[in-house]
Amino acid sequence: MYQQQQQNQQHQPILTEEDLVSTVLADLKRNVREYATAATESTCPDIRQMFTKLMNSTLTLQGQLFEAMKQQNMYNTSSPALRQDLDKQAKSYQQTQQKTQQFLQQKLGQQQNQSMYTPNGQHAFNQHQGNQPHYM
Amino acid sequence: MIQPMTAKELEYVVDCMSNEDLQIKQCAVVALEGTTPSLRNLCTQMLQTHQHHYDSLLHALQHHQQIAPTQPQ
Repeated sequence: MYQQQQQNQQHQPILTEEDLVSTVLADLKRNVREYATAATESTCPDIRQMFTKLMNSTLTLQGQLFEAMKQQNMYNTSSPALRQDLDKQAKSYQQTQQKTQQFLQQKLGQQQNQSMYTPNGQHAFNQHQGNQPHYM
Repeated sequence: MIQPMTAKELEYVVDCMSNEDLQIKQCAVVALEGTTPSLRNLCTQMLQTHQHHYDSLLHALQHHQQIAPTQPQ
């Protein structure tokens, strides 16, 4: 009886499969961030490119594992956001976008009649920064 | 013409090799002890990808060995 119990314990892993896989998923997420940081901190173009490739590859692995866990019901996804919350945020951020466009037109529109959102407009912005004093 | 690797880049490369090494071992545990076939298969595949990642990092390190300065600059 005791021997049997001991045998069962030996075959029973310390962590469940779900715990193990969750640890792997958490580490994949951490490694994606680590590669992103490494790429942004790199000076050599070839090293930066390598970190970028490894980041993308790790992101793919994380996505695959997440999908596999979801199929096994090992992952509780967040509940859907409510319609009224989406409406509220969409309205609020449309206003922000409009205000910023007005701000850009006021500051840059006087210099040149070009939109900030065109490549030429970007160029105009650089010129503006270089030649004109800021009154902000 | 490649530039010498910076000290910071070297730290990231070796840190990332440690991370990949740990992931290889973790995937091996799931591949061996897991109970769900789909997860075991996926972890076996992931194990190989992590080995490729480790190789890339090690090759980058070895590639930069020859052009690294021997004196502090």
